[in-house]
Amino acid sequence: MISAHVTTPKLVVSWLALLVLTFLSFGISRLGLGEAELVIALAISVVKTLVVLFIFMHLVEQRFANRLIVILTFLFIVLLVTLTVADPLTRKTFPPRPDPAASPYP
Amino acid sequence: MSAQRLVEQFESLEKQDHAARLAMWMFLGSETLLFGALFAAYAYYRGMYPDEFVQALHHNSVALGTTNTVVLITSSFTVALGVHFIRENKARLTAGLFVVSTLFGAVFLVVKGIEYSHHIHENALPSGMYTFIDKPPAGVVLGYTLYWFMTALHGLHVIAGMIMLAVVALLCWKGRYGAHRNVAVENVGLYWHLVDVVWIFLWPLFYLTD
Repeated sequence: MISAHVTTPKLVVSWLALLVLTFLSFGISRLGLGEAELVIALAISVVKTLVVLFIFMHLVEQRFANRLIVILTFLFIVLLVTLTVADPLTRKTFPPRPDPAASPYP
Repeated sequence: MSAQRLVEQFESLEKQDHAARLAMWMFLGSETLLFGALFAAYAYYRGMYPDEFVQALHHNSVALGTTNTVVLITSSFTVALGVHFIRENKARLTAGLFVVSTLFGAVFLVVKGIEYSHHIHENALPSGMYTFIDKPPAGVVLGYTLYWFMTALHGLHVIAGMIMLAVVALLCWKGRYGAHRNVAVENVGLYWHLVDVVWIFLWPLFYLTD
């Protein structure tokens, strides 16, 4: 059942990788790439999350049942965010956003 | 170290531990969905007011936010080391590492508190209390409301995690856990890693937005 084992060197390497990814994310955010910045930053966050999940949280050596919960959680969040964001992004017939002058404090 | 007791509904200790671990993952999944709803709200309003969000969150201190990211990642590392050493029956070492992690959590809260006091000083407060910019566009106020709500909810999770880490550290020191009884130590570690993962996403959304 246990195919991989998390060892001390692996933990140290993961920690260093997480720090490198953090500074990479910070560096890219200073370049001023506009809209792409957020996408790149979130992609780096996903990679960092995978490192934390599989090494720090020992998912790499656990049963598939535990991974299934992670997969389902991820799918639920993708569903939730995608369907929610589809509304403001595709609204055409209605004012796309409330008039700030009408109610400054929503 | 007291031996682990097998309760009657399980056939073996291995299955009992698996059940405890699986339940923890399910709990973490539901916690993630709680934050997921807030991330959806963030995406919704950022899609609606892209420029105002950048204007509002540009004001956050990137230096303090990045410091906190490094602090939390390092605390996650010390927790992971602690979980690793309890399996090798080095309970005292685990206790020490968990205490260090708790202190990292305290550092995180102090830095966050400094940030909050800056915001309070400037009246960059949530919703109707906001008076930082005279007559701000609606999106700026929404951005700050989400910032306060999401970081404060995350802060509560940090406090809960610190309490659990401290309790488990004490129990490890007293010799309650060891190589053959450690699923509770592992599960507290899992909770702390979730706190770290949530911050890994809050950091780019609230600090790297310019």
